[in-house]
Amino acid sequence: MKAYLNAPIKEVITKFPEVAGILTSYDIGCVPCAVGTCLLKDVVTIHNISENKKAELMYRVEKAIYPDRQIAKPVPVAEQPGSKKEVLRYSPPLKALVDEHDLIKRLLKSVPGIAKYLRKNPALDKELVLNIVDFIRKYADKLHHAKEEDILFKYFDGNSDVLKTMLADHTSGREHVKSVVKALNENDRESIILHLEGYAALLTEHIRKEDEILYPWMDRGLSVSQVGELFTKFNEVDTVTQKGVAEKYRKSIELMEEQIITE
Amino acid sequence: MKEACGCPGSKMQDFAEEQKGAKDESGSRSSQLRQWPIQLHLVSPEAPYFQKADVVISADCVAYAAGDFHKDYLKGKSLVIACPKLDEDQDTYVEKITSLIDAAKVNTITVLTMEVPCCAGLVNLTTKALHAAKRKVPVKSIVIGIRGGGVLSEDWIS
Ligand SMILES: [Fe+2]
Ligand SMILES: [Fe+2]
Repeated sequence: MKAYLNAPIKEVITKFPEVAGILTSYDIGCVPCAVGTCLLKDVVTIHNISENKKAELMYRVEKAIYPDRQIAKPVPVAEQPGSKKEVLRYSPPLKALVDEHDLIKRLLKSVPGIAKYLRKNPALDKELVLNIVDFIRKYADKLHHAKEEDILFKYFDGNSDVLKTMLADHTSGREHVKSVVKALNENDRESIILHLEGYAALLTEHIRKEDEILYPWMDRGLSVSQVGELFTKFNEVDTVTQKGVAEKYRKSIELMEEQIITE
Repeated sequence: MKEACGCPGSKMQDFAEEQKGAKDESGSRSSQLRQWPIQLHLVSPEAPYFQKADVVISADCVAYAAGDFHKDYLKGKSLVIACPKLDEDQDTYVEKITSLIDAAKVNTITVLTMEVPCCAGLVNLTTKALHAAKRKVPVKSIVIGIRGGGVLSEDWIS
């Protein structure tokens, strides 16, 4: 079958005329094409037909070529609308930032569980709080917010209200973290929780604004060339200065999630 | 009588009437082409104009359909052209695009194709090259309409 998949459509039809009728019944109009050099597999992939229809078509074509062969009839699977062509909602560099938000959001979602855990245990789990502070400072702030502030935002007017608001959120976030550290030194459990909750509320809204409004707006304003530049600059940050950081903090968040669930 | 071809890529269409009117024939535009050759079999990925460049990979027909090809797509870019339906030895195309990504370290790739289904083969070739390459690079796909040469879709695919 593989040989026929890689054969020009005209050759396949000449050898197996029945294939012509099958293709036509799926609205693939290549049959009478005078050129006919497109490969059978490409003809099937390129035409906009669903995965189920494609499987059914391939089954019928294979049966036409090898009538005596035992071929399993394809079982239709549930298809998601629009699953045919993969399209990114964001340009690749902004998609990378959206993906970084995912890990930050996992921490934010854990904050109610963290509060419960901290209140339940008689001794204050300083190590957990320090790990959270470390994650926020090194991953959310040094890696992620630095990409935004030092690279991405530089492509836009720094005096615009939109950017000023986003930068103010970053500053407020840093203040919350400072307050968490201060409260930790003072063994003030409720203050730690208060500022973690404040941070979570702030960043949840901040990330929503970025994902839904800021980044799509930025994408509309960036030229193709600027998208390429951003992509390269982000990669440099990831590979040169922050090697392994993303992986380290992914593990750290996983451990934290396990800890607050199992306790 | 010979049966008419059903391939949308070869189907005969006459839309001369639609193109009448709204024409400004005044002034002239200069060419934005800044290199030679342009055909994908003929270009060398080592050429200086590809290094770190924003490259347009255009299906042959696009330049004739898009009224402002030079202004809208070519300006500031390096160009290669190919036809995914008729050209031979398309494995070489994949290798060349892979070299553009890895050796020439291009900044971005924009693939311009016509709306006919077979033209999507050029996007497939580029995707194959991207998978084969060691580097990653942003790739945008723009599909141009036969009638009027407008943009039918514009998406980042990688
Ligand atoms: Fe931000
Ligand atoms: Fe962000």
